[in-house]
Amino acid sequence: MSQNKYRAKRIFLLICLLPLLTGCWDSREIEQRATVLAIGIDKAGPGAEEREAEVSHEKGDISIPEENMIEITVQIAIPGRIPLGPQVGAGEKKPVLVVHVVGHTIEDAIYNLQQEIADEIFLGHLRLIVLSEEVAKEGVKRFNDYLRRNPEIRRTASMVVSKEKASKYMEASPELERVPSLYLAEMVDSLVDLGKFPESFIGKFWSIFSSEGQDGYLPYFHIKGKKTIQINGLAYFHGDKMVGKTNPQEIGSFMAGIGAEKGGYPIFTDIPGNKKEIALVQAVKRKTRIKASLKNGKPHVLVKVRYEAKVSEKESPNVKIKKEEDIRALERGFSNAGQRSLSDLIAKTQKAKSDIFGFGEYFRAQFPEYWKQNVETEEGWGNIYENLSYDVEVDTYIRHSGMKDK
Amino acid sequence: MEDLREITTLQATTILISTIIGVGVLPLPLFAVRAGETGAPLVTLFGIGIAAIGLFIITKLGIRHPSKTIITYSEEILGKWLGKVCSIFVIIFFTILTALAAREFGTVVTTSVLIETPLDVTVIVMLVLAAISARNNINVFAYIHNFYVPIILAPVLIVVAVSLKNANILYLRPLIGSDFKEMFFGALTVAALFQGSFIMTLIIPAMKQPKKAMKASIWAILISGGLYLLLVIATVAVFGTEEIKQLFWPTLELARTTSLPGNILQRLDIVFLSVWVTAVFTTIFASYYLTIYSIKQFFRLQDHKMLSYFILPFVYILAMLPEDIFQMYEIIRYVGRIGLSITILYPLFLLILDVLKSKRRKHSESKQV
Repeated sequence: MSQNKYRAKRIFLLICLLPLLTGCWDSREIEQRATVLAIGIDKAGPGAEEREAEVSHEKGDISIPEENMIEITVQIAIPGRIPLGPQVGAGEKKPVLVVHVVGHTIEDAIYNLQQEIADEIFLGHLRLIVLSEEVAKEGVKRFNDYLRRNPEIRRTASMVVSKEKASKYMEASPELERVPSLYLAEMVDSLVDLGKFPESFIGKFWSIFSSEGQDGYLPYFHIKGKKTIQINGLAYFHGDKMVGKTNPQEIGSFMAGIGAEKGGYPIFTDIPGNKKEIALVQAVKRKTRIKASLKNGKPHVLVKVRYEAKVSEKESPNVKIKKEEDIRALERGFSNAGQRSLSDLIAKTQKAKSDIFGFGEYFRAQFPEYWKQNVETEEGWGNIYENLSYDVEVDTYIRHSGMKDK
Repeated sequence: MEDLREITTLQATTILISTIIGVGVLPLPLFAVRAGETGAPLVTLFGIGIAAIGLFIITKLGIRHPSKTIITYSEEILGKWLGKVCSIFVIIFFTILTALAAREFGTVVTTSVLIETPLDVTVIVMLVLAAISARNNINVFAYIHNFYVPIILAPVLIVVAVSLKNANILYLRPLIGSDFKEMFFGALTVAALFQGSFIMTLIIPAMKQPKKAMKASIWAILISGGLYLLLVIATVAVFGTEEIKQLFWPTLELARTTSLPGNILQRLDIVFLSVWVTAVFTTIFASYYLTIYSIKQFFRLQDHKMLSYFILPFVYILAMLPEDIFQMYEIIRYVGRIGLSITILYPLFLLILDVLKSKRRKHSESKQV
């Protein structure tokens, strides 16, 4: 009898536990999600006002933001069409859906987008945000709030600036990877690995943007031909506005300036004594020391870069790299070229008041009194940076010259 | 139950660690940075110092009364009625603390991961879990804490270690960021995050060797304080002070920014959050246990089990009182600071009285001889 009672109790308990089996409140199957992989942001063309659906506000409502309207282009993964591994003879069907919408802000545009799409928009896999140069020049502050506030968005997503309209990148179809946006995102990551670009995910960009003594920078992309996309330089900002871009070679100098360890850029170096002969010397590793000081109350920085490099090519058969002196000469040539290039880049960014090197942070950290009295705000530092005096010293050590003698 | 003396020194240490590390880890860098700018690590260090003093006082008191908790020995020191009045404050404070921890937990979970789950559900689930576990006796209580400590510590250390590759040491300088007054108040807020260590008063009567309680306290404050300090240093070095001021939970963002090398895990926040849920559970569990155990001793009851469900609705209602996240953090800040007078000043007062009393007793004894 008591045994029965015990069993009844147990069954009752099990029934009580049954509702818990339904699992997660927020569960949503993957096919019911519209997974956005990439967003491209452009300035909306004329007539955007008319094209916008009346989702978050009615037309002509006065309380809408004053900034220009934007057009966003999103890549949405089509469930089942994203290949999980290498596939032979994959079908012709595109794995992503590209949609254009207009809106006053990102969220506004996303609401408009949701109005057109049956599944719930999911931003958890957003890997790439492309800003067109036009938009970047008008300021990116307006996007930061939404991107920070939304818990789905990863801080490790990449943000890049594009020369062309951002929508083109959403439609481009590079052939190395089935999913275009993943290819682009991988490209940003692998450029970092190859030493072609410093870490620049969106969280890093925000930290730099928030800090008082440094200005932000982002990769600058350019579409070459039909299918390939090139990293064409570095977009530098003053405050939240893009103020200029460098050429790809200068990215190397920039990385020397901030002390990124991995080197990846080659420089054509004169072989002293043979005026027209050149060799290609590539930076492998670098170490940078930045010394900030106040000379008579004026800020001054000394940038010391130590390169480790290797000879990667020598075109002419007439000159030989044989002796130690030749290597020393190449080292000198490389140092001079590096020194010149870095100095030029600093001068270039000074004109735009854009301290992408973060020299200001050194002054804020090491001379807090000076900082409090003279700088206080970022605008203040920009003005000081414009007239900052600096010295650049470059040392090069070439350890390898490849498999070839002479 | 007072006769069961099975808790080892190690267990006492782990109970303290897992009780201290709780909801507070998420907003901690924000609190510290708000008060001290780049001096945030220093503020944290001060906070740890204040908390350590509080914990040492409570441990010292416990060692002097090795078979009693603060509820019982306060009656002895202050006299029956005054002691009871003070105990009521202790009980009310820990009820509120439990409720606020549950609420903060619910808020974080519903804003960051389970967006569609109602706040009430997350809060209730956590409280029910604590209530069920709190029906066990103090030895089981010790086992549970002991079991979870490695799970709580390891992932936090991993996140800190991996995230350091994005760190910028310049963000940590100058070491003294703002004026002393603000830093002091910030340190109080940080110290308030350690209030769970009050559980020591309840552990000592169950310890095998109450004399070694001080050792447990020192280790616990070193480990948990060290972890907090590491977290603050890492978040400030990665984000910089200005960015931290824009984030509610910098520690969570730290986990979101960090990915394990080689794309094993592209984001660590889910791992971190699940660990954090455990940490929150042990904290709420401890303060819940402290509350009902104190009530039991207050009314001189035999058993605390039935109290466990009895106070559940009260805690739940308290948890649901704050209207929004801003109000919630405002309340947490005030309650924390007021709480310091209960968890540090009140025991200090008791200790002084106790020492004076025993001196007088010795004095009169020696006179009699």
